[in-house]
Amino acid sequence: MAQQGNVGELLSMLDSPVLGVLEDITAAFKDNLICDRGPMLVNNLVDYYLETNSQQALHILSTLQEPHDKHLLDKINEYMGKAATRLPTLSLLGHVIRRQPSWKHKLSQAPLLLSLLKCLKTDTDVVVLTTGVLVLITMLPMIPQSGKQYLHDFFGIFGRLSAWCLQNPGHVAEIYLVHLHASVYALFHRLYGMYPCNFVSFLRSHYSMKENLETFEEVVKPMMEHVRIHPELVTGSKDHELDPRRWKRLETHDVVIECAKISLDPAEASYEDGYYSVSRKLCTSSKHHQTDPSASYYIDTQSSYGTSTPYSTPRLTLSQMPGQLPQILSPQSIRLSTEPQQVTIWSPSAVCGMTTPPTSPGIVPSESSQSSSQPYSKAFGTSGGKGTPLGTPATSPPPCTSDDFVHISLPSAAATPPKKFLGGLSFEDSAEKDREEDAISKEISEITTDAEHMVPRGGFDSPFYRTNESLSGSQKKTHSVVSTVQGHSQTSEPLTSSLDKPGPESARETPKQTFTPIDKPCGGSGESPAGNREGTSGETSILTPSPCKVPAQRRVVFGSGQPPQYEHLFEVALPKTAYLFVGKKTEELLKKAKGTQDDDCMSSTSPVEVLDRLIQQGADAHTKELNKLSLPSKSADWTHFGGSPPSDEIHTLRNQLLLLHNQLLYERFKRQQHALRNRRLLRKVIKATALEEHNAAMKDQLKLQEKEIQALKLSLQKEQARYHQFQEEHENIVAQLHSQIRQLQHDREEFYNQSQELQTKLEDCRNMIADLRLELKKANNKVCHTELLLSQVSQKLSNSESVQQQMEFLNRQLLVLGEVNELYLEQLQHKHTDTTKEVEMLNAAFRKELEKAKLCVQQQSQRLDASQKRIAELESQLAKKDHLFLEQKKYLEDVKIQARGQLQAVESRYKAQKRITQAFELEILDLFGRLEKSSLLKKLEDDKTEAAEAAEERLDCGNEDAVAGYSEETIGRNGETKPPSTRGSSSSKGGSSSELSTPEKPQNQRFSSRWETSMLLEPSTTLPLTVGSLPSSKSFLGMKARELFRNKSESQCDEEGVTINRLSDALKTELCKDPSMETKESSVGQLHIMDYNETHHDHS
Amino acid sequence: MADDSQRNFRSVYYEKVGFRGVEEKKSLEILLKDDRLDIEKLCTFSQRFPLPSMYRILVWKVLLGIIPPHHESHALVMKYRKEQYWDIHHALHVIRFINDSTPQVDVFLRIHQLESGKLPRSLAFPLEPEDEVFLAIAKAMEEMVEDPIECYWLVSCFVNQLNSKHKDSLQQLPKILEQYLNIEDNRLLMHLKACAAMSKLPYDLWFKKCFAGCLPESSLQRVWDKVISGSCKILVFVAVEILLTFKMKIIALNTAEKITQFLENIPQDNTDAIVSKAVDLWRTHCGTPAHSV
Repeated sequence: MAQQGNVGELLSMLDSPVLGVLEDITAAFKDNLICDRGPMLVNNLVDYYLETNSQQALHILSTLQEPHDKHLLDKINEYMGKAATRLPTLSLLGHVIRRQPSWKHKLSQAPLLLSLLKCLKTDTDVVVLTTGVLVLITMLPMIPQSGKQYLHDFFGIFGRLSAWCLQNPGHVAEIYLVHLHASVYALFHRLYGMYPCNFVSFLRSHYSMKENLETFEEVVKPMMEHVRIHPELVTGSKDHELDPRRWKRLETHDVVIECAKISLDPAEASYEDGYYSVSRKLCTSSKHHQTDPSASYYIDTQSSYGTSTPYSTPRLTLSQMPGQLPQILSPQSIRLSTEPQQVTIWSPSAVCGMTTPPTSPGIVPSESSQSSSQPYSKAFGTSGGKGTPLGTPATSPPPCTSDDFVHISLPSAAATPPKKFLGGLSFEDSAEKDREEDAISKEISEITTDAEHMVPRGGFDSPFYRTNESLSGSQKKTHSVVSTVQGHSQTSEPLTSSLDKPGPESARETPKQTFTPIDKPCGGSGESPAGNREGTSGETSILTPSPCKVPAQRRVVFGSGQPPQYEHLFEVALPKTAYLFVGKKTEELLKKAKGTQDDDCMSSTSPVEVLDRLIQQGADAHTKELNKLSLPSKSADWTHFGGSPPSDEIHTLRNQLLLLHNQLLYERFKRQQHALRNRRLLRKVIKATALEEHNAAMKDQLKLQEKEIQALKLSLQKEQARYHQFQEEHENIVAQLHSQIRQLQHDREEFYNQSQELQTKLEDCRNMIADLRLELKKANNKVCHTELLLSQVSQKLSNSESVQQQMEFLNRQLLVLGEVNELYLEQLQHKHTDTTKEVEMLNAAFRKELEKAKLCVQQQSQRLDASQKRIAELESQLAKKDHLFLEQKKYLEDVKIQARGQLQAVESRYKAQKRITQAFELEILDLFGRLEKSSLLKKLEDDKTEAAEAAEERLDCGNEDAVAGYSEETIGRNGETKPPSTRGSSSSKGGSSSELSTPEKPQNQRFSSRWETSMLLEPSTTLPLTVGSLPSSKSFLGMKARELFRNKSESQCDEEGVTINRLSDALKTELCKDPSMETKESSVGQLHIMDYNETHHDHS
Repeated sequence: MADDSQRNFRSVYYEKVGFRGVEEKKSLEILLKDDRLDIEKLCTFSQRFPLPSMYRILVWKVLLGIIPPHHESHALVMKYRKEQYWDIHHALHVIRFINDSTPQVDVFLRIHQLESGKLPRSLAFPLEPEDEVFLAIAKAMEEMVEDPIECYWLVSCFVNQLNSKHKDSLQQLPKILEQYLNIEDNRLLMHLKACAAMSKLPYDLWFKKCFAGCLPESSLQRVWDKVISGSCKILVFVAVEILLTFKMKIIALNTAEKITQFLENIPQDNTDAIVSKAVDLWRTHCGTPAHSV
């Protein structure tokens, strides 16, 4: 309870006028809230707020942190149930929600939402409803996905309230209905923006009923004229738009902007997307623009400088550059001919100036925390007129006419609805004044930003330039192009400061001064607030916001969208891009201006406009009154009007005030969302510009490199030219040389020809010589031949001579012989008698001889027969013999083969024996080696003594006596050695060797005895002995022994046995490993080994 | 020629009709009756017909040159052989290379080594690959021949014949094997090549050991008849026939190691059939065996 009391005290101190105490208390509350988690403090605060409407309490409540939200919401819910406290509770809720607490997502789960919805469905108080709807609209974007479960509640509320607007069941004042209508309109926008499919289906189902048709026709249909078709209606579905994924990416302000995008109402709409599309196009076209920076710069400077030339010219020149622009400008250029001033209104700088919304949200709370309306009213007083901002950009009087043109051309379309309200409101102007303050404050901010941004574009042509002069004398007309930027920052500063300062009167005055120059040009027409102030009070009706004028103004404010808010900053930071941006903006606005103007002509007024107009009317009436009375305070107004007004009216007015306040707060919330978004967009723009700068830098680099490339190309060309020159020279030289070569070749050919000619001549000569020689030879031959003939002839001659001589001689002989022949013929004729007898005798003799010969032949043939027989006989005998030989040969062959086969077997056997002996030899040598190793020391000693002995012994072996002696000696030694040797052999050697040694001993002894009796021993006796003792090794040892003694003596067969015997003995003794005998026997072993070696040497 | 007239004139036709080995025993007896045996004829006979087992050892001994062609010197030569064997046996005993407990096969090996001058210095020396071959053949021969001396001489001469007469042709056998396998069963060859098993087939077992240890003795004798009579190509056909017989199993095996392992331990049940088929195959591919000597 103590704490309770404490809290009570603290609460009472909360609204203390002392600043220090206030801060302390606030801090104490915050501490308490941090420490205490209970609901008590929050409940108390809520109670206190509801009681006193304390701003401090509200501040604390609206900044509550996480753990207390539940208590707060519970408390609010509790009070919501009670009709009496509903309204303040709702406003508290509105305050809290607009703060966007960190626990806002919990709202959807809170029972508070349910009760709010219930309240909206059931309540009949218009004020409560309007406030509730605004709270709901504010809340919706915060809980987009969680709020979907109440979707039909929302739609139901919309249906109810829209019907309410028309039917007015509570019969409340129409002025409330205006507010309600505006709120419903906002709700419509929100619902349509967020849940288009669901909402449309709701509308379809709800307004298909006949009883609702009228509501639709009257209320909903006009609303629908202010929205475009939502893209979700095409692409989305009912389920899709309720999908949490859709909302996850979007923040609260994103949702708000989404909703604003689909609105066609200039008061609501956001043209962000439109801006983007246009700006993108322009970006591409502006590249061309950028390529010629000097030209554009010139144009821009001209436009900003703009002392004498109208805007239209530079614009037009600019427009001819980008490809797209002429099309956009074409309608405008047509209009240009009729009213060039209209064009100037849309100059980029003007647009820039007009557009920027108030300030950063940081200022907003401070403003709201102040005792609200005071500065606004002052500002209101100063600014007054609505139409003036339009006129400001104009350099010459024509703005007024342009205003008139707008006025005149459009009122017929939509002037009627406000009139209805105005008629009802005529008596309320004093109350309206308060309401107007809000609207005015908004407009003031617009205007001030106007003023701010008129400057950046240079404003030398505008009245602001003069304003600047009057404000700060330092700024002269000598502003160079460069200094425009500086000038902007300088001039804008005093303006904003003067406007933002609420307190001092001097600051209040400055805006007045600032705006007077604006008014001045317009003053001629008498339309300006200055004119109003001067006393043209009757003109209020003219000045009342015409349906087209407000849109026109709004169009400027909202239509240009949010982004340009920071445009003046760009101009400072990024002059070039800013120019481009301004250019783009202009085109865009030109296009839009046309569109919206057309729209305005056709469409009906939106509820917001109606509300605006209502407020303006009230404000105008209020101004009038104020001017009349020239009284500073509101209270004075009331007293002046004659006492206190009726309480009913007061109540109505209060409610109106409340509603207006709510509306204002809602709008402010929207503005905050916009500001949030603006900041984000600004960041994007800055990034984009940075990238563009980067691009520009890259392009510069590219250019540089291109230049470099060109330089290189130039040098390349030079080099090529030089190269060509060289080549030509070279070719010339080559050609010269070629010609020389040709000449020389020609010469050479000539010489060659000459030489050939000479050669042919030479040939001819040679031929001639050869011919001559041939002829000579022939001649010689002929000579020789003739000589020969001559000699022959001479010989023949001599021959013939000798032949003649012989002929003569023969003729003579012939004659002689003839004579002789004749003589013989004579003799022959004389002889021819007695020859027959002699012939007979001869015949008989011949016959006898023939007989004798025949006999002889017979004898011979007989002999031949006999001999032939004998030959045949002998031949048969020969054949027999041959056959025998063959058989013998075969047999021999057979035997040979047989013998060979046997021989082969024997040979193989012999080979085997050889191998065996080799193996034995190997074994023996191995054993010797082992023996030697073990007795190396003693051997060395004995070697010397035994070597001599051995030598002697060897020599003694030469004759038989020596052999005998030696053998005796050895035998004696054998006798000595026998006992140990046998023992050793029997002990050491097992198996065959022991068997072998046993028969050896008696044989040896027998042998030795025999050796004594007879010197000569039969080899036949020794042979079996040795064979018996060592059968397999006998032949080998014999061979070795033969080899041993072959050189030294003519060894005999009988000796062989002795040596073999000795050797075998030696072997035996060697094999036994008796240490006592080793020394002696080893010498023998040594000797044998040496002998082997010797024999080997001899062999080799 | 006079002997030929004693032969049954039908014997030529038996063969044509498909009866093999009807008159063989008789004709062999006739051949063996000749004093100074005709080795050429015996070779041809051995190649053409299977040898009756009762004469097999005799024919082998004659063909391997262990006994000369003359009957009267047989006893003498065998005596020599016997003495030689015992001499070497004794020598080995003396130098303690063998003792009474040494297995017969090892005794043969040592004797052979000593005879060829390749006796190692110590018993501990590891066996050479050719010694392994000798051991394998000796083991198989020991089963076939009872008398150790005869057995030793057969083994020794058989190995010597392989090493001298067939040395060059033995190296060619793997190639010939591939060639005939290609003719007989190309698919199997492809499979073996795909498994890279062609180079890893048990050539040592087949061609160096002449299937000793691979085939049972009864079948082995018939193969060796041909080898001893001078045709080592029969080995290739036995190998081909083994591959063909176990074709399905080989194709089922994928790795060279498995195939080799399988071929080294083939089942011994139907080796007679394998050898018969191999001999047929050999006849079809090499024509009349008389000319292929």
